[in-house]
Amino acid sequence: MKNNLIPDSERVRSQKFKFFCLVMLAVAISLVATAQVKADDEIKVGSIFDLTGGLNIYGIQQSQALHLAVNNINENGGVLGQQLEVVEYDAQSELAKFTQYTNTIILRDKIDVLFAGLTSSSREAMRPIVRKNNIPYFYSALYEGGACDKQTFITGASASQQMSVLIEWAIKEYGPKIYIMAPDYNFGTISAHWIEHYAKEYGGEVVGSDFLALTVTDYSPTIQKIQAAKPNFVAALPVGANQTGFLEQFAAAGLKEKMGIVSTNYGSGNQQVVVSPDAGEGIVASQEYFMWIDEPNNEPFKAKWEAAYSLDEPIISEAADVWNAVHIWAKAVEMAGTTDSDAVIAALESGISFDGPNGTVTMQPGSHHLKQNIYIVRGNRTHGFDVIQTFESVAPSFEDQVCDLIANPDTAEHFTPADL
Amino acid sequence: MELDFLATLLLSSLSSAAILLIATVGLAVMFGLMGVINLAHGEFIMFGAYATLFATQIGVPYPLAIVFATIVTAIFGGIVELLIIRRLYGRIFDTLLATWGLSLVLYQSAVLIFGTVTPGIGLPISNVQIGDYSISVYLLFLILVAAVLIGSLYWLLTKTSYGITARAAIQDRETASAVGVESARINTMTFALGSGLAGFAGAILLPAIPATPNMGFAFVIKAFLAVVAAGPVTLTGTVAVGSTLGMVGNITASFWTSVVGDIVFFLLTITILRIFPLGISGRWRLKL
Repeated sequence: MKNNLIPDSERVRSQKFKFFCLVMLAVAISLVATAQVKADDEIKVGSIFDLTGGLNIYGIQQSQALHLAVNNINENGGVLGQQLEVVEYDAQSELAKFTQYTNTIILRDKIDVLFAGLTSSSREAMRPIVRKNNIPYFYSALYEGGACDKQTFITGASASQQMSVLIEWAIKEYGPKIYIMAPDYNFGTISAHWIEHYAKEYGGEVVGSDFLALTVTDYSPTIQKIQAAKPNFVAALPVGANQTGFLEQFAAAGLKEKMGIVSTNYGSGNQQVVVSPDAGEGIVASQEYFMWIDEPNNEPFKAKWEAAYSLDEPIISEAADVWNAVHIWAKAVEMAGTTDSDAVIAALESGISFDGPNGTVTMQPGSHHLKQNIYIVRGNRTHGFDVIQTFESVAPSFEDQVCDLIANPDTAEHFTPADL
Repeated sequence: MELDFLATLLLSSLSSAAILLIATVGLAVMFGLMGVINLAHGEFIMFGAYATLFATQIGVPYPLAIVFATIVTAIFGGIVELLIIRRLYGRIFDTLLATWGLSLVLYQSAVLIFGTVTPGIGLPISNVQIGDYSISVYLLFLILVAAVLIGSLYWLLTKTSYGITARAAIQDRETASAVGVESARINTMTFALGSGLAGFAGAILLPAIPATPNMGFAFVIKAFLAVVAAGPVTLTGTVAVGSTLGMVGNITASFWTSVVGDIVFFLLTITILRIFPLGISGRWRLKL
């Protein structure tokens, strides 16, 4: 029988409300239950990388390196006698997803540490969230430098770190006149600033520059301008697949015989695989890791990688950066005897070092950047690189200069060369 | 300013115009002639590039690989017409949505099949020296390719019986059917022709522009603007607008930056459309 005192819509609404309450109750119970299960037998490692979309040429290997490192640690008894468990999200090469998943992974999954991000914009999106929640966060990619924050630790090379040795080497090798080809966003413009800075320091001179959108495919105007400026070498920072076309067009115009070409990021996305042997041969790059370097820990690292995945696609520097980051964190937790964030951060600021595939790397207590080797390499005809020179334990000089988180633990900044 | 600078500037701006025209003619056939807005045009170019790459990897010499890629992309375009486009003639927004969806499918398929990095085939390292400047022979060769391509397309669409029936089937479907033109089949062929031209573009540009899943995006905006600004006399209009825009863009980028080059490109397009709302060829009396 129909109850005439309560209108239909009202009844439906109250039923809906009851149902809603039940659902919420169930959710609350399950959350409490999972939180209790989690309690003490596992340490949770958070991971957010771009597994799909345009940036997955980096993100897939970053994630693979994280899983490889975690498995390696677990096989050797875990951390503090506990196994590590990975909680992973795919950021889909979308900036908004980083913000969303960082909140989820901290608040719902209750991770103990976060490894995430490739672009500087993704790091800047996550930095305030990890700061608020006091979770140690590792950013593992080469970048323009200058990030400074108590919870943030950086294992990739900064622009000043790579640039100082590369520009000095190139001025000696080719001569003082430099032309800059760079992408038209903060990585390109800040890196260009560093090139000018070190050019001045080592007696060079920037004779021209061209900043290009990532959608440009026809580089004949740039090549025309380079020929008009007559530099001794070109500092090229091509980002993304379209800009590798610049290297083809540069070689085809015959410019490689007339001038040198150097880069801090060529190879970081396996561009040497895409570029033809004629165009790739002789391009000089500088980074903190290349698969072809001769270091005692590189061979075992490569063997593990090959067993787990394959070496058909060369290992990129970001993968080594993630591997180092996970191991440094694990070492810091062992040292602290707990996963408590403050204690782990204190251990990370104790001058901790690790023998990675790229030699010994040391976390600088004040700047949270790594002191590490920088390798100068030259592209060969087999889509690989030959090492020309190794610069041992290069300090992140700019970051050490502007960022001291021991003396000023409340700093939360992204310094640029203008702050010098 | 030196003479050698101006000479290479002229040649390099002609090569920019050639690249733009090669990437645009397929769209000129589809959009200009058939009125189909194919948002997957860029992905058809990408399809041609990967087809060429696939052929060279199994040992086919590059010139034959271009032919292979053109034919395969044309066949693929024909299938797309039969399955999707055919049902949507005259429904512009539905075509827009369907081809956009198709472009997403093609993009992601390329990522899944070929991964994110694939070895390219590289530009031949030979160049012409003009004074202090040098320019790639391949880029000069592209100027010739664009000229031959447009010449033969013009001949195909104005002098052959296919061309005449194709234009008839599009201009007045019913009358064409009444005089015995099988317009459905002709439309499939025309769409396949446009697709084949896109595939050819991907193949011939492959040495200069490496194949990547998202390469189409770089072409599609400028290609659309050139065809829209060209107006009703599709082919001649596209040649006029495309080469002007390509050259002016290149020259401004050579003197200032590529950003200024792009701004000038877009401003010029807007200006053309303000003065000639129907496109630059709105009052021309040419056939095509």
